[in-house]
Amino acid sequence: MKQMLTPTKPARISAARVGIGGPVGSGKTALVERLIPALMARGIDIAVITNDLVTAEDAERIRRSGLIDPARVSAVEAGACPHTVIREDPTLNIEAADELERRFPGVELILLESGGDNLASTFSRDLTDFWMFVIDVGGGDDIPRKRGPGVIRSDVLVINKTDLAPYVGVDLDRMHREALAVRDNRPVLMTNCRRGEGIEAVVDIIEREVLFRA
Amino acid sequence: MFDTEAALALLQYGDSAYPAGGFAFSWGVEGLSADDLLSGQVDLDDLVFEHLAFRWNTMDRILLRRAFIAADLDAIAAADRTAEAATPSAQMRDGSHRAGRALLGVSVRLGGSLAIAYRAMLSADARLGHLPVVQAIVYRDAGIGFEAAQLLSGWTLVTGLVSAAVRLGVIGHIEAQQSLATARHVLEALLAETPDSDVQPSSFTPLIDIAVSRGPSRHVRMFST
Repeated sequence: MKQMLTPTKPARISAARVGIGGPVGSGKTALVERLIPALMARGIDIAVITNDLVTAEDAERIRRSGLIDPARVSAVEAGACPHTVIREDPTLNIEAADELERRFPGVELILLESGGDNLASTFSRDLTDFWMFVIDVGGGDDIPRKRGPGVIRSDVLVINKTDLAPYVGVDLDRMHREALAVRDNRPVLMTNCRRGEGIEAVVDIIEREVLFRA
Repeated sequence: MFDTEAALALLQYGDSAYPAGGFAFSWGVEGLSADDLLSGQVDLDDLVFEHLAFRWNTMDRILLRRAFIAADLDAIAAADRTAEAATPSAQMRDGSHRAGRALLGVSVRLGGSLAIAYRAMLSADARLGHLPVVQAIVYRDAGIGFEAAQLLSGWTLVTGLVSAAVRLGVIGHIEAQQSLATARHVLEALLAETPDSDVQPSSFTPLIDIAVSRGPSRHVRMFST
C-alpha cells in the first residue's frame, strides 16, 4: 500500500482555456479559423477542441484547413446535450484539454468551440477561463434585447457577419448600442469573419484579458 | 437498518447529473437505432438486459471487484490491462478509456488520493483507465463499500443507456421510467448471485460490439459510443 500513501500531485495545468459559444450558424468555426493564424502570428501556441453536435464536421474542417497541425484539434461528442458538455458536465472537454496539454506541453491557449445552441448556453468556469458568445447579424437585431444568458454573461459578445446588415435590414449601430446596454457596457466586438474584419480586436482582448500580455 | 449516510452517497454518485461525461456514451443505442435494430421500449429492455447480463455482470463487475480489492496500484493496473486485453473492439476500448478517464479526472479534482496516484500512472500507459477499474478507484476514495460500488456501476450503466434512448427519441420519458423499473429487477437478480472469486472476465455482446465499432464510419454521430 506504500504507493497509495504517497500520492503524486497532478500535473500543473498551464494553458488558458477560452470558450466560444453561440447559436448554430453564427460563425463560431469561421471565427476559430480566423483566430488560429492571428494568434499564431503573435507567437501564441494554441490547440483547438470542437464540440460537434451531430457530425465531426467542424473538427474536420479545422483539421483540413491547413492552418494548424491536425493533431492539435480534438473533437468531443456532446451526446445530444450541447449545453451539458460545456456547463453542467464539462468533464469530457476538460479531459480533452488535459490530453492536449500532455501531448503538447508548450501549448498556451486552448480554444473550445461549442456545438451551437439557442441563446441559453454558458460555459462552466471549471472548464474555461474566459468565454465568448457569437451571434450574427443575420439572426436579427433583436437578439441582444432577448437577453439570453450567453449574450448577457459572456466575457465578450461577438456580433458577426456585419457585412449582412444592409441586406437584412439591421441597424448595426443600434444593435451594438443595445448589446452594450444589456451587458452593462462589457465588451461587444463586431466581426466579419468572412473577410477577416474585426479579428485583431478579438485577439487583442484574448492577449490582454486571458494571457495577461500588455 | 437503513444507512442514511450510505444511501446519500449512492444518490450522489449514482445521480445521472454526476459530472463524469456519461451522457455522451450510448454504448450501442445510437448505432442500433440508426440501423433500425432498436425501435422502442421492448427493444431497449432487451438491450439493457444484454448489456447487464452478458457484459456488465461477467466483465465489468469482475474487473471492478479485482480493482476494489487490489492491494496496490500495480494490482489495479493489472486489472486494467486485463480489461484492455479482454475488449477486442477498438471502439469499445476507446469508449471505456474515455469514460474511465473522465470519471477519474473528476475524482482527482475532488482530491481523491487513490485517484491522484493512479492518474499519474495513466500518463505513462495509454492502456490504463478503463471504466470499471476507475469506478473501483473512485468509489474506494469516496468510502463507498464494495456492495454499493457494484450497485453504482450497474445502475449508472442502466441510466446511461435509457437516457441515451430518450435523447434519441427511441422512447418517451414515461417509457424510460418503465425501462428503469425493469432494469432494477434484472440488476437485483444479477447482484443476488456472487461470481466465483477466480472467474475470468468475459463478455458476449456481438450486436452491441458491432454497433459501437461501426460508430466512426457513421456520418451522423452524436455519442462517443
